[in-house]
Amino acid sequence: MLENLKMRKIFILLKLKAKVANVLIKKRLLLTVIFYFFTTAVIASDQNFQLHGFAAQGLINVNGSNFVNDDGSLSTELTEIGLNASYQLSSSFRLAGQVVHLDGGNRYNDGVRVDYALLDWSAYSNEYWQVNLYVGRYKNYHWLYSSTRDVPFTRPSIILPQSVYFDGFRDIAVGADGVAVKISHSSDDLGYFDFNMSTGASSISDEQTKIILSDFAFGKMKHTYDLQASLYWQPLLSPWRFGIALLDSDFEYNAAETGDVFINANITLQRYMANILYEGERWEFSGEILQERFVFDGFYYEGAHRDTIGQGMFVQSQYKVNQDLTLLLRYERIYVNKDDKKGHDLEDSTQGLVPSYFAYQYDATVGFSCDLAENFRMQFEYHYIKGTARLTPVVLPNPKINNSENWQLWAVQLMYWF
Amino acid sequence: MIKTFYSLCLIIFLGCISVSVYAVDVITHPSVSEPILTTSQLRRIYTMRQTQWSDGQRITVFVLPRHHVLHLQFSKERLEMYPYQLDRIWNKLTYSGLGVAPITITSPEKLVEAVRKTPGAIGYVRKLKDEKDFYIIKVKG
Repeated sequence: MLENLKMRKIFILLKLKAKVANVLIKKRLLLTVIFYFFTTAVIASDQNFQLHGFAAQGLINVNGSNFVNDDGSLSTELTEIGLNASYQLSSSFRLAGQVVHLDGGNRYNDGVRVDYALLDWSAYSNEYWQVNLYVGRYKNYHWLYSSTRDVPFTRPSIILPQSVYFDGFRDIAVGADGVAVKISHSSDDLGYFDFNMSTGASSISDEQTKIILSDFAFGKMKHTYDLQASLYWQPLLSPWRFGIALLDSDFEYNAAETGDVFINANITLQRYMANILYEGERWEFSGEILQERFVFDGFYYEGAHRDTIGQGMFVQSQYKVNQDLTLLLRYERIYVNKDDKKGHDLEDSTQGLVPSYFAYQYDATVGFSCDLAENFRMQFEYHYIKGTARLTPVVLPNPKINNSENWQLWAVQLMYWF
Repeated sequence: MIKTFYSLCLIIFLGCISVSVYAVDVITHPSVSEPILTTSQLRRIYTMRQTQWSDGQRITVFVLPRHHVLHLQFSKERLEMYPYQLDRIWNKLTYSGLGVAPITITSPEKLVEAVRKTPGAIGYVRKLKDEKDFYIIKVKG
């Protein structure tokens, strides 16, 4: 049995290593970056350099929607591989970077990307305060799981709650190029405070443009402005932690000069969020609630205007049966327009082209994760979903493929990290 | 009946004043000038919220692998935290670029060696008898 497990582990590792190698060959520039980190590692002492990584491969099957693929077949498009390095240049400055290869089918653009590459300046530090400034490509440090949403073993589930972590918005929500600041205060009376603020913009690929807008959008989408802030508080010695987060971002769509059926557009996305986390010895509870405003000008015709407020939330519980086995139970809801929760207006305004169930999405999830060895885990989950509000494309949905109100998915993923 | 009640009260009282006996000692490199650490200081250091000693010297934090029995004892007894909470904090730092996590050392012997060789280092060991070459730091509640 143990021999069998070892063989399986070696086989998976070899397969994942082959994938990593494949990916790196494709991207010479990224290889150079990694080579730089490796050579620096030789020169630097052990304590100044850290190298970590992860590799995960899974199987996913969706019945009744195009969440992962269009034909509904069993898919291996559930790959996440990453390699990161951190090098302490001096007592105040540090370089850090991570390269990832992702494949999630229709969920987001697949391929290799620089996840983060930043200079971390420890501007002020004493026993109770830490102020850090991050310049470069930083992650979204504001929501419960946003900073490591692609790092499989840090998530409660393979598919994160789509109400908050909508895969269609992944590339614009995962991080940005700009500046971020983190202020941490540790009080012996009141507990821990963490304040984060960031401003920047992310580059949007043609594929991502189609995911957000429509398969027929041939123009360029630009992220022109992004400001985010969050505050977390953990009372002293408390198992509870509370957080709030804000987001304000602008985008513009520049229609292609020829062959584009759409015109220029301006899009604004604003989010207000709150979250809560309880960490007990065996029980864990967490939840996030959000309200988001989506303002849309142009795109279909000159003067077109849409201003909607959506609402969403999830609550989840995890139970640690023992050191290796954790169970998961989650429920979530999202409404695209809080004034049209049943989607009747949506259906009427499109003369029945977009069915009412595109206005909401409810998801009930059960799952478990099992540690098979040190840093080697298997995760499994099943989702029962009603509604299609979090399927792509976002702006101009595809009711032809997504012609079912109820759909289900299961996924299993093996993951290794070091 | 009354005698039994008084005996019970005495046992509870003795239980309350008994000094905690830990199975794990916290050690530092001799260059560390702090004579004593509070539990909340130790927690700040191991959750990477304090990265410098009071004299400005950089802290290098060493730990054992996450399933090692001594690591489990250390996090529960000394930090009063569940090991998975530490994993979560360190993983977020490591895999999001936000910071650095403690350095994992494969065995207690190698961890002692790493602390001995690294100025500003902190680590932990099974309760020690031989204290030469490094410093057992007192931790008060």
